[in-house]
Amino acid sequence: MLRSLGRTIRAAVMAAALGGCVALAVGAPARADSDIAGKKVIFVPISMGISLTEGWVRRMRQHAEIYGYSLDIRDAAFNTGAMSELLAKAISEKPDVLVVHNPTVQLLARQIQQAESEGIKVLQINLQSNRPSSAFVGANWKRIGREVAEDIVKECGEGSGKSGKVAIIPGQLTAADSVIMNEASFAVFDAHPEIEVVSNQASDWEPEKARQITATVLQQHPDLCAIFGHWDVHTMGAGNAVKDAGKQDDVLVYATGGGESVACEAIENAVLDRVWSYDADGQGRDAGTMIDILLQGGAAADGSMLEIESPMKIIKAGDGFDRRQCWSM
Amino acid sequence: MAIGFATKDRGGRRRNLLELVVMAVTAALFVLFAIGIEGFATPGNLGVVLSNSASLVILSCGMAVVIVSRGLELALIAEMVAGATTFSILINAGVGGPEALLLAVGAMALVGCANAWLIAYVEIPAMLATLASAMFVTGLVRYAVLGGEFLLLLPKSNPAVVLLSGDILPGVPAPVALMVAALVATGFLLRYSAAGRTIYAMGDNFQAARLGGLPVRTTTIVVYVFAALMALFAGLVTAAASGTVDFRTVTNGSLLFEVILVVVLGGIPLRGGRGGVRNIIVGVALIAVLRNGMTLMNVTTQMQDVIKGFVLIIAIVLDNYLNPRDTETDTAGDL
Repeated sequence: MLRSLGRTIRAAVMAAALGGCVALAVGAPARADSDIAGKKVIFVPISMGISLTEGWVRRMRQHAEIYGYSLDIRDAAFNTGAMSELLAKAISEKPDVLVVHNPTVQLLARQIQQAESEGIKVLQINLQSNRPSSAFVGANWKRIGREVAEDIVKECGEGSGKSGKVAIIPGQLTAADSVIMNEASFAVFDAHPEIEVVSNQASDWEPEKARQITATVLQQHPDLCAIFGHWDVHTMGAGNAVKDAGKQDDVLVYATGGGESVACEAIENAVLDRVWSYDADGQGRDAGTMIDILLQGGAAADGSMLEIESPMKIIKAGDGFDRRQCWSM
Repeated sequence: MAIGFATKDRGGRRRNLLELVVMAVTAALFVLFAIGIEGFATPGNLGVVLSNSASLVILSCGMAVVIVSRGLELALIAEMVAGATTFSILINAGVGGPEALLLAVGAMALVGCANAWLIAYVEIPAMLATLASAMFVTGLVRYAVLGGEFLLLLPKSNPAVVLLSGDILPGVPAPVALMVAALVATGFLLRYSAAGRTIYAMGDNFQAARLGGLPVRTTTIVVYVFAALMALFAGLVTAAASGTVDFRTVTNGSLLFEVILVVVLGGIPLRGGRGGVRNIIVGVALIAVLRNGMTLMNVTTQMQDVIKGFVLIIAIVLDNYLNPRDTETDTAGDL
């Protein structure tokens, strides 16, 4: 996909160069093809008020200001019902680009298809629906799931002297990240029979629920080796349960997240051990760039979805830890 | 007083029947889980059941008092989170634990007073008044205090947080101690105070209590301030344990559902006038055992909600059958 994006960008540059030559020949402005000022972009996030989305919007706004297009935020405030309504309203306003943050793989699929069929380019950010659209910017959940599982196998599997017991705490079982990460990590665990997943219960993204689940699981499995939380925020509740049980040296707490400074603080406080960060700050810039490209008419040559995979930062407690790996608002 | 006693005598036997059914189901589940689930019947796990139930019990104490008075407190979870936010903001700003607690108590008492004023003086139905209050409090605290943030992190190193999440005495965690204190306070309020007798009278027949000259308006203030304070303490327990104050607890809605579930299952009818501390314990016992067993069995969160919802429907149907409405109880303000 990166290759296809590269092709698109090359094609766009060639077209712009060609257009420029033609324009110069007739004396018109050279930026005719890339003039996107005044266009309209609407972003419908699952919720504002969390570092992930605030970080994205900060960078997207910078791009909007540079190019002079408008960026409207329609905050669904963790209300999926409201989110569908906000998206319906956004589609009716016919923006040039619609940025969507999918809470589950199915919830907004039909509306994404509707928007695309009405000529609105849809950029899905970080969480994909099962309906492809013009573009996707976000983490490679498959890779994160696989890499975390491989690390767990290394730490808890054969030859480690540990029990091999793992507890997984997804946000919601139907959320795109949880679906893909579970699939990828179970594929790794299945090849290692010494690894036993003793619990796989969703926390609804809430730290307190994650804490209660962890406190209970730790009683049943005092020899638990690792916890894999699918989001750093709720996994902090699990990490606190481990700490309260005095097991922070025995149980490894893994999480994924946007890599804001709070994650590094949690590592410093021994609440989390290892965070696979998809760097929300960088994602915001990637999203801004992708919006610029979409507004300029960029599309994959074969009509497939343009994709930008977020580079990962793996932040681990220990000697190599550096809090500058995290970003802050 | 005669009204309250008459209802209790007349309805006592039937009320006990619902309690007995729930207690029998809890005992059966306990035995079943003890046999079937490894690690269930261990002192460590039972300690976790107790600790994990602390905030639910404290919230249920507040809700029970409101429901006994024939009210409903839908702002309970909003107050819980708002109270914890007030406390946490002050703690993070360097204010000492006792001062922060006093200020949070003051703020929540104010919210309770506002709710009671809407219900008792403006005479808005409790359900609507507290629903509006929940939205107002959540919105105000989220935007005016947290600047739009959903989460507030609480440093676990802070002495006030350590005190609230650690052991208050050897082997007695602070959440469990607060839970016992809440039960004792509720028992005292309902059974041994003048306000308590008025609460039962209001729940049994509000108009009769009012016409009989009982101070129904001031008692309503006592009821809603008590509920708001219980919510605050539940919020402190949760925030200290998880190290976060999370506004999604309000928007998610499942905790409010669990609190109502506990009260109804325990045998406190939604039309009020009956019930006490024993009912809260009975209700929480079933939910806590069910929740712990399901977590140990690795039942998904969604399936847990389905099972809890099913249990609530059965309890409400059973409650309706065992405590049928009559011309006296089926009056305005009833749910």
